[in-house]
Amino acid sequence: MRVCLVRDVLDNQLLDARGQNAGKVDGIVLELRQGEPPRVRYVEVGPVTLARRLNRRLGEWVARLDARLGDGRGVPIRIPISRVTLDAPSLGLDVAAESTPIMALERWLRRKIVSRIPWS
Amino acid sequence: MKRWLGIALGIVTSVGGFLEIGSITTAAQAGADYRYQLAWVIVLGTVCIALLVEMAGRFAAVSKHTIADALRERFGLHFFMVALVLVFFVSLLVLAAELGGVAVAVEFVTGVHYPAWAIPVGVLAWGLLWYGTFSMIENGVSILGLITIAFVVAAVRLGPDWHAFGAGLMPSLPSKEPAHYWFIAVSILGASISPYLFYFYSSGAIEEKWDVTYLGPNRVIAAIGMGFGGFLSIAVLVVAALVLAPRGVSVDDYHQLPQLLASPWGRVGFFLFAGCLFVTCLGATAEIALALAYQIAQGFGWNWGEDLEPREDARFSLTYSIVLVVPMLLVLIGLDPLKLTTLSMALTAASLPIAIVPFLVLMNDRKYLGEHTNGWLGNLCVLIITLLAGAVAVVSIPLEIIGGS
Repeated sequence: MRVCLVRDVLDNQLLDARGQNAGKVDGIVLELRQGEPPRVRYVEVGPVTLARRLNRRLGEWVARLDARLGDGRGVPIRIPISRVTLDAPSLGLDVAAESTPIMALERWLRRKIVSRIPWS
Repeated sequence: MKRWLGIALGIVTSVGGFLEIGSITTAAQAGADYRYQLAWVIVLGTVCIALLVEMAGRFAAVSKHTIADALRERFGLHFFMVALVLVFFVSLLVLAAELGGVAVAVEFVTGVHYPAWAIPVGVLAWGLLWYGTFSMIENGVSILGLITIAFVVAAVRLGPDWHAFGAGLMPSLPSKEPAHYWFIAVSILGASISPYLFYFYSSGAIEEKWDVTYLGPNRVIAAIGMGFGGFLSIAVLVVAALVLAPRGVSVDDYHQLPQLLASPWGRVGFFLFAGCLFVTCLGATAEIALALAYQIAQGFGWNWGEDLEPREDARFSLTYSIVLVVPMLLVLIGLDPLKLTTLSMALTAASLPIAIVPFLVLMNDRKYLGEHTNGWLGNLCVLIITLLAGAVAVVSIPLEIIGGS
């Protein structure tokens, strides 16, 4: 099957193993190999990649903010292409997003803000 | 049976949700300044929004995608961000106008100046969204919104000159002050063709899990619901033409608005107007805040849904909460709700080409719609109306500002 990376993968919806929204594909990482065609290695998700695509300085600023969310944050979230399936027009992930860094901001907001609002 | 009940409810919500501060104010200004002469613009705007709402419902039912979602997939991040920022900015102004409308309605009843009510009514709208469900907001507020049928009763009671009214349904050139005429005309179009409305409608269709079997009901709801909604706007115009125009009142102060119903019904009418304004503006406030949160959540691929608990979609719920803060501040510092309304409606019209043309491209994409893509007539109507609205708005907004009215 012929897949166009920009048309079928970039900016398309990711659904996790439970069918929950797990962000959009914000970036694609290719590996350039000597004497061989490039190979797709990862898809990137999350605010750092998103902001970098819009503007380099905005990307740096978002990365600094994101780093405050916990260890290992402040860098793009990379998902090996082997864990992604194409289920046009969306893409599937073989894990539940809830426990991954994709949902870090969601978890942080839930813990720090939503749970402190009465009857939420 | 259930489907027919759904259709009836859909029509009721479309009718009850149609009028808000934008359509009431612009129709009242048109009636006060030009009597029936601008009625045709309401008809044009209503046809356009009915077509767009039908398209938005069809898009969601067939593709299972919301519009924001598909805009990013189809046009990429950069275009999506430009459209998002533009629609967001204009919608925030509209949201401030609606919130101001709720505050003004409370002022009419209590006598306490409206900025004092900015925070209480903002918190009320937030509470509806945070603790309520989608159907509670859509059905509850809209069924209460049927109170606006009072304008139709008032229009008939006041006895319009039907011949002159009929002439107003035909497009005509301005009888006086052409720049002002076209400014009101685009404001009416901006008030009728609100981009938030079809973003909201398409998200609702996804929340209610529509599929292709809903295409028929969707068509009926869009045509009858929006048709009756436009009918209500025309009723406001007729009442203004009969109540305000003969006294030479041009709507330039929101305190003049209650006269629309106070004139035929006295004190009862005054409170009836306050009730109409309160319910319809509160409904619109909730819908716009939700529509903006939908747009962001869908564009960035988050979990979203008004029927989920806030802890299940924290980013979405906090987005509509933050969105409500800006208009609260604008009303709190005392920006005039009437000026805010007129300006935001005209700016909405100016933004229509960017908000709607990409949507039309989606509606013709077989990848999303298969055999259910748009016909040429629908494409042509919407394209011409939005491009004209945008062009006339760009010309008439500066003229209106220079004119100083």
